[in-house]
Amino acid sequence: MNFLNKITSVFNTYAERNAFCIQNKFYSYTDLLALTASIQTTINSRCPGEQNIGIVIKDDIETYASILAIFFSGKTYIPIHPTYPPERTDQIIEQAGIKFLLSKTDDTSYLGATLIATGYSSDQKNSDIALASFPFEKTNAYILFTSGSTGVPKGVPITYHNLDSFVTAFSALAYEIDCNDRFLQMFELTFDLSVMSYLIPLCHGACVYTIPDSGMKFTNIYNVLSTHKITFALMVPSVLANLRPYFEEIDLPDMRYSLFCGEALYKDVVVEWLRCVPNAVVENVYGPTEATIFCLTYKIEDAATIIEYNGIVTIGTPMQGMEAIVVDDAHQELPDGEKGELCLYGNQLTPGYLNAEKTKDAFFELNGKRYYRTGDITFRNEDGNFIYCGRVDHQVKIQGFRIELSEIEFHLRAITGSSNVVALAVNAPNGMMQITAVFEGEESDTEPTLEALKTKVPPYMIPAAVHFVATFPLNTSGKTDRKALQKMIA
Amino acid sequence: MEDQEILSQLNTIIGGVLRKKDLVLTPETTAKDVPGWDSLTHMIIIDSIEKHFKVRFKLNEIMNFKNVGDTVTCIKGKEVK
Repeated sequence: MNFLNKITSVFNTYAERNAFCIQNKFYSYTDLLALTASIQTTINSRCPGEQNIGIVIKDDIETYASILAIFFSGKTYIPIHPTYPPERTDQIIEQAGIKFLLSKTDDTSYLGATLIATGYSSDQKNSDIALASFPFEKTNAYILFTSGSTGVPKGVPITYHNLDSFVTAFSALAYEIDCNDRFLQMFELTFDLSVMSYLIPLCHGACVYTIPDSGMKFTNIYNVLSTHKITFALMVPSVLANLRPYFEEIDLPDMRYSLFCGEALYKDVVVEWLRCVPNAVVENVYGPTEATIFCLTYKIEDAATIIEYNGIVTIGTPMQGMEAIVVDDAHQELPDGEKGELCLYGNQLTPGYLNAEKTKDAFFELNGKRYYRTGDITFRNEDGNFIYCGRVDHQVKIQGFRIELSEIEFHLRAITGSSNVVALAVNAPNGMMQITAVFEGEESDTEPTLEALKTKVPPYMIPAAVHFVATFPLNTSGKTDRKALQKMIA
Repeated sequence: MEDQEILSQLNTIIGGVLRKKDLVLTPETTAKDVPGWDSLTHMIIIDSIEKHFKVRFKLNEIMNFKNVGDTVTCIKGKEVK
């Protein structure tokens, strides 16, 4: 049974149970079905021939029902963030060829795309949802855009086959999930960890609890975890870093599964977290957007047995249907214990980027299998666990967001007309990672530059700190020595 | 310490974290009113305030900070009498 059949079955079996809790308002599966059916009818009448449909994402039930309506119609959704810079949004709309956008309100205009309103009415009784017949292998379920090093966001299509393979592999992890579970959904819908956070509960008749758009994210997360006695939470490790000073006050006995993904998970923090969730299975999971949500897992038993390297918890072993190898620069597989680039193969792997050139760079064939180069440096230990050691490039993760530092530098250079600017990820005073821009030369007012940058990149890519260095240090190749620069501003 | 003095010091701390020299906070100011005061910088601000005033906030107290005035009141309540 594929994931859409599972959700259809849930609609029938758990009609009166809650599907979502959004801003403290509950929506039953009956409510969700009615709204999904209504939006599907709208799609069929307004844009029946369109494959790629944008959704202006908000923290509302209409957004989630729009995703389901698109899934049941065999179409492809592309999340459009309403507060991201219009220029970036336009690039996404253009790349994905979006002509129609679903939105609860039609108060924003987007490049050449027609907005279709998706209102919710509690009187809605139409529940004639139709599951379209379409080829799972070839049809994209969603396209997400990640940071691109050349200043243009990179489109990653994920097929229904990829997504269904994730759901199947997730089931094989044998987590005991049922309709009584309460799932945290803390992610923006532009981030693929959100897909697990709404899709898995909907496949089980469980309830999804979202985090409000407004207010402070970390306190909102804790509020939802404690108030609603969340039983399953996939979070980024930054949440732990922010909550760590308050661990002594945190007791979440209802938590049954506590998963971390999206950033390096540090052993010392997660060991302390184990005491906050005494009844939970705690796991570190790993995977790039290109391999559908996550595809390696590692179960953390206790402090004594955690496998770590430089304080970072191992990313574990591949899930069902996926394979991982470590290769050298010539794409040849390395033996256990040797460091190289982690490459992935299997059912969850995207067919390739929207931009064919990018696909050529990131994928290669070995022994008849098509592998994706993750850019992560790892080695496999004697137990078969993959150990994360760093990056081969300048990609960083801040609060789980994947950021190409070179994309920030690209825009800063274009804005200032100077090549002497570097973006670094450095530790903030509270131990959190933050983006810092370093300019060469005498100190000057950077406010206009940063304001201009806000029109190019999302808020999480704006440098939180700025430094000036008289002359950039150079390495032996004559390039800016980023490590030396990092030390200079420490 | 008087409320106004705490507010003035908060102004300096928060202005420093957000790199806004001309920031003017009032008791009614909320994070939403100040560009750059978002989820990413909020915990850095809290950390800086705790270090400066040598106080320790509880998680529930931080969750109830609706505006700068709430923070001032909380700091004042923690002052050694």
